[in-house]
Amino acid sequence: MEMNENHTAIDGCVTIPELFRKRVDDLGASKVALREKDLGIWNEYTWQDYGEHARLAGTGLLALGLARGDICSIAAEAVKEWLFADLGVICAGGVTNGVYPTDSSTQVEYLINDSGTRFYFAEDEEQLDKVLAVRERTPTLEKIIIFDMEGLRGLDDPMCMSFDELLDIGRAYDAAHPAAWDREIDRARPDDLMILTYTSGTTGPPKGAMISQGNVMFMMATMTDSYTVFNSDEQLGFLPLAHVAGRMFYTFLGITVSSVVNLVESPETLVQDLQEVSPTVHFAVPRVWEKQFSAVRIMLKEATALGRFAYNLALAAGERRARYLKANQPVPLPLGLAFFCLDRLVLKNVRRMLGIDSCRWLSTAAAPIAPDLIDWYWALGKPMYEVYGQTECSGIATANLPGDCRIGSVGKATPGTEVTLSADNEILIRSPGVIQGYWNKPEQTADTFVQGWLHTGDVGRIDDDGFVYLIDRMKDIIITAGGKNITPSEIENQLKFSPYITDAVVVGDRRPYLTCLVMIDDENVTRFAQDNDVPFTTYTSLCHTAEVQDLINGEIEAVNTRFARVETIKQFRLIDQLLDPEDDELTPTQKLKRKVVNEKYSDLIDSMYRAA
Amino acid sequence: MALLTVRNVETYYGPIMAIRGVSLEVNDGGIVAVLGANGAGKTTVLKTVCGAMDPRKGTVDFHGREITGLDPDRVAKLGIGHVPEGREVFPFLTVEENLVVGAFSRKRADFSDDLEMVYGYFPVLAGRRRQPAGFLSGGEQQMLAIGRALMLRPKLMLLDEPSLGLAPTLAQEIATIVARLRSERQMAILLVEQNARMALDISDYGYVMETGRIVMEDTCERLKNATDIQEFYLGMKDRGVRGRRRWKQRKTWR
Repeated sequence: MEMNENHTAIDGCVTIPELFRKRVDDLGASKVALREKDLGIWNEYTWQDYGEHARLAGTGLLALGLARGDICSIAAEAVKEWLFADLGVICAGGVTNGVYPTDSSTQVEYLINDSGTRFYFAEDEEQLDKVLAVRERTPTLEKIIIFDMEGLRGLDDPMCMSFDELLDIGRAYDAAHPAAWDREIDRARPDDLMILTYTSGTTGPPKGAMISQGNVMFMMATMTDSYTVFNSDEQLGFLPLAHVAGRMFYTFLGITVSSVVNLVESPETLVQDLQEVSPTVHFAVPRVWEKQFSAVRIMLKEATALGRFAYNLALAAGERRARYLKANQPVPLPLGLAFFCLDRLVLKNVRRMLGIDSCRWLSTAAAPIAPDLIDWYWALGKPMYEVYGQTECSGIATANLPGDCRIGSVGKATPGTEVTLSADNEILIRSPGVIQGYWNKPEQTADTFVQGWLHTGDVGRIDDDGFVYLIDRMKDIIITAGGKNITPSEIENQLKFSPYITDAVVVGDRRPYLTCLVMIDDENVTRFAQDNDVPFTTYTSLCHTAEVQDLINGEIEAVNTRFARVETIKQFRLIDQLLDPEDDELTPTQKLKRKVVNEKYSDLIDSMYRAA
Repeated sequence: MALLTVRNVETYYGPIMAIRGVSLEVNDGGIVAVLGANGAGKTTVLKTVCGAMDPRKGTVDFHGREITGLDPDRVAKLGIGHVPEGREVFPFLTVEENLVVGAFSRKRADFSDDLEMVYGYFPVLAGRRRQPAGFLSGGEQQMLAIGRALMLRPKLMLLDEPSLGLAPTLAQEIATIVARLRSERQMAILLVEQNARMALDISDYGYVMETGRIVMEDTCERLKNATDIQEFYLGMKDRGVRGRRRWKQRKTWR
């Protein structure tokens, strides 16, 4: 890691605007920076295109009166304009805040008002309508800029303009003030606030984490020190850019190493786009890995006996080989040869179908994952590294690394980061990535950031070699009426390993025994019902059939055998509505929110305790 | 027990799976509507029930007896009358001949009563009984098609888009007669319709299909008040803040 007067420097640059300008100047039209799939075609954008669009967006905002430190919000899926606008704002001295496209207009209203947004970028008609519905109550909002004008021809509203119009304004401003762009880039300082990232709090409304230029520069240095990422690497961009992980990987890591970021057509086309791009490095959240795994399991059920036999044989060899690799030992020659053959015949095809065959490494974070699932990817022939971090430390704090990896742990503290435990085993983090605080929330800031240490709210342990093991969120730990401490996520991870269970929430705090609410996997359970002649009509009726109840009961019983008696699930209920990311119960990454689920389904939960 | 029970039916057109696991029930004397967009698989459900198509999986029970895979004429004899989409009357036969064809499975003796019964429901057909059916208007042909099915004295009638191509008043007339058939003749009806408003008005229970699967089922009263049904089937779209909205809410079928 280069340091430059106490600031992290990458290629001599201490801020993202500087580094971005350097990449654009050095690489120009000679290298592709982004690809975006539109109507099935992958369109390419070079660094020159990227730089040009960002510059015009930035100068356009300057023409509209953007002052340093002004907040600009962006509500869109991962589209190229998100990155263009983001860099335009950041280089022109503004601060970008990401809004999830699934946020409701009430949430949009809160985010605009809490952040004091002046300029709002809306992806399309749908995102625009959410802002228009609340704009009477958002006094700071001045302009809405729309990326995709489809269906908005003839929109005549003084507050709205298209992204193209913004670029035109920028072009005129740039011609009149050719030095303005560079001047603003030069004014950026490592301590400047650069992005706001809202995180859902344990209590109360979301808080805006204030991430500075220096925080991001440190994170980039850490990521490139920990993993090998080359400028020839291909990434697949599919996570929402409003999330810190998506932002760090696609926007900032892309600039740092000038790898190519391929933006998917839509979240629904992820599976196909992954196959087409076949990225060389791939970060995803556990939900994505779980889906891949259950797709393979279901496919096996339909495969011939010979196919299943070959798969099991190959996977067993893969497991044996992975044991040597994880321990950093040479693989014995006979095993290596056997694996080589079976890999060519079987596993390579599985990997190609999944789109991960070209990956040098896989990385997972942002939610708990079952260690067995990580083992499966290793056995399949791809190393998967679990990392851990929070928005409040700008991304990663601990990581499993090639050659230094323990499955089940989240790895060791990354270079430049200190990790320790408090008296009650809360994980504390100190690093140049730890943020300044929460936007306009001095109280919560003081509670979370104490003498330079970030209090993560996660309980964990650290072994003698420095590997960190997460136990659970502090507030999620269940203390049963019998006084037993139980970590629900460990049980939930095992449940989610079933192809029929998408997510589960274990309940039991101050209750006599444990119960759980289960969200079934629509596709796989439907197929189960069809294969077994279980009549059903809708999702709700599917959940209520005796056979599906028995199926899930069987899956839960199987998990129960792996736990101590007090940790077994005694009752369960299915959530009988198909949830959508726009529902309160789900996070944007499609995980159940424990708190919301506990409140919303309190009757259902109570019914599991009345029975006894 | 239900009069008609369809369980886990999967029906294919060659390699294409048109119905991907449909289960539904029709009770004695009930009117059940199946709603859905073009290509959802509604007509295929009716064709599978009447025997014109055989399901690759699943069963169809009528009166407690399995009728899966029976030929259409056998199914018709058991008391299931099918009024196909687009009427399909025999254009060169007269109205009366068309009606007699409908009674193919029965002895000649008791025809006249049935003819009178049909003419009672559709007086306009009585005046044209000697004319070739091809000369009838669309609405009259629809009436003839229903009359032809009535000649079977069915216990269950499968009605495929009876309002297709008809003027609103004619569609209304057909709807009234469908309701009368149930109340006067205790006939059960499985109704497939694009005209969701009409179907929900005359039916007791409804299923909504999308891409070969049932996504929603409920009493028609409740379906009428579901937001997705209002937006996607009844055209009651919230105009949005700008007074015109092109984007669609995500369907949740609640």
